[in-house]
Amino acid sequence: MRRSNEFAVGLAVILALALVIGGALWLSETEINQKSAKYTARFRDIGGLSVGAPVTLRGVKVGRVEQIRLAPNEWVETDFSIDRDTHLPEKPAVIASSASLFGEWAANIVPLEPLPDDPILRGMLTEAARPAGGVWPGATLPDIGQLTAQASRIAGDIADVTQRIRGAFDTTALRELRQSVKDLAAISDRLVVFANQQTNRLDRVGQRVESSSNSIANVAQTFERASQQLDAATRDGQLKDIMDNGKASSADVRAAAADLRSVMAAARSNQASLVRVIQSADSLMQKIQSGQGTIGLLATDSTLYRETTLTMRQFRELLTDIQAHPRKYLKVSVF
Amino acid sequence: MEAGRALGDVRTWGPLLFFQMRRLGVDSVPIAVFIAVFTGIVLALLSSYIFTGAVPLYFVGALVGKTVMMELGPVLTGMALAGRVGANIAAELGTMKVTEQVDALETLAYDKYSYLVVPRVLAATLMFPVVTAFAMAVGVTAGWITAINLLDLSTPEFLKGLRMFYQFKDIWFGLVKSASFGAAVALMGCLRGLGSEGGAQGVGAATTRAVVLGCEAILVLDAFWALVLL
Repeated sequence: MRRSNEFAVGLAVILALALVIGGALWLSETEINQKSAKYTARFRDIGGLSVGAPVTLRGVKVGRVEQIRLAPNEWVETDFSIDRDTHLPEKPAVIASSASLFGEWAANIVPLEPLPDDPILRGMLTEAARPAGGVWPGATLPDIGQLTAQASRIAGDIADVTQRIRGAFDTTALRELRQSVKDLAAISDRLVVFANQQTNRLDRVGQRVESSSNSIANVAQTFERASQQLDAATRDGQLKDIMDNGKASSADVRAAAADLRSVMAAARSNQASLVRVIQSADSLMQKIQSGQGTIGLLATDSTLYRETTLTMRQFRELLTDIQAHPRKYLKVSVF
Repeated sequence: MEAGRALGDVRTWGPLLFFQMRRLGVDSVPIAVFIAVFTGIVLALLSSYIFTGAVPLYFVGALVGKTVMMELGPVLTGMALAGRVGANIAAELGTMKVTEQVDALETLAYDKYSYLVVPRVLAATLMFPVVTAFAMAVGVTAGWITAINLLDLSTPEFLKGLRMFYQFKDIWFGLVKSASFGAAVALMGCLRGLGSEGGAQGVGAATTRAVVLGCEAILVLDAFWALVLL
């Protein structure tokens, strides 16, 4: 009976111990054969991070928080157990952040480089990254409570501003504001009428401006073409030739002018004799026209012309006959 | 005081200890497990009813684990054992008292504390944590099975919640409490049993009183440990 009691009690105690120890190890995910490696990170403040909180890498749980302790120089050091098979970043850092709205926190492993954009986070990581003997730098994001408190402060500020606006806009201010709005509406109506009146004028001015602009554009195109031609002429040396030719022509013109000047001087010096010659020629021509003298008779009497014409005809006939019958008129004999 | 002095009389209470451990502890395991099964089921269903909507359902695991390990496991087990063990001790010792068997022991130079009280109190103190450990394991397992089968919850989700807020303190806190419950229940049973007077009616009254005092002691100690250890 006694042996039976001892066996039953011993069995119950052993089973209970096994349950307690096994359950505790299983629930805390403790590994007997050390499949995980230990790392340490330091923070200025760990927020709501607690022992047992998950450690994640790119959102995947790779370990858990093992221990949290205060360290010198106002640091908080946190030990993590992380699966040995995990490929960690070359320079890891840890960011503790709220994992849900229900107070859960997680430690997220991130690469230290590049540093995050958030200046506060960047500052915390930079400070914690100073040489600390293999300890990872850590930073903490504000939790929901802090964000809610900040939002509450902002809401309070907005309420203050609203209250002040409400105080500033009393009944008198509202009446004046309504009157101002009415005045503004009247001014707006007048502006509409004025704008309608000015619209036609503005249209005409616009059309003219447009036509002027087109003309200027055409002139500009013409000028551009002329410039291109001038540029082409300049480029081919034609302008130089033209200039040379012009220069030579100018020299010729100058020489001709000089000759003309000398001719004119000679003519001026022989002007009296020339006048006399012209007068003599004039009187001669008058005599001829009047039929005086031989030339006058020749010029006014057609008999000579007819006889001359007859003589020429007979002469041509003679020449034709000579060509046709040369032996009739020429006889060549050597001996 | 006298019971404390009797602790040194190991030769008297030593041979009786395993018998009392089996009677008060091992034989109480079935009732503790039975209570734990339904506690786990009810906790899982209640927590899913409470958490519907805003709170994620995997918190069922956290609530079942924390509640069973820290509170309901030790307290409900203690209450059940207060009825079973406390009543048993009070009735047994009360009967011995009113039938003058205790006087006979003293006549035979047996110290009543060493022979009757110490083995019972020690056995209850040592075995209540053992029974509670079984109750914890069964309660959590029952809640787990309920969550998987009756709730829209998977095993990884339940374990995520169970492990989320787990600390080793959760277990030893419950075990320490249950040890104190065992000592209190056994002491109340012994005190009321040895203090019973009259006949069967006196024994019945002592038994009832022992159970009531045992339950009250459990609740007071529960609050005490919560204040001291949490």
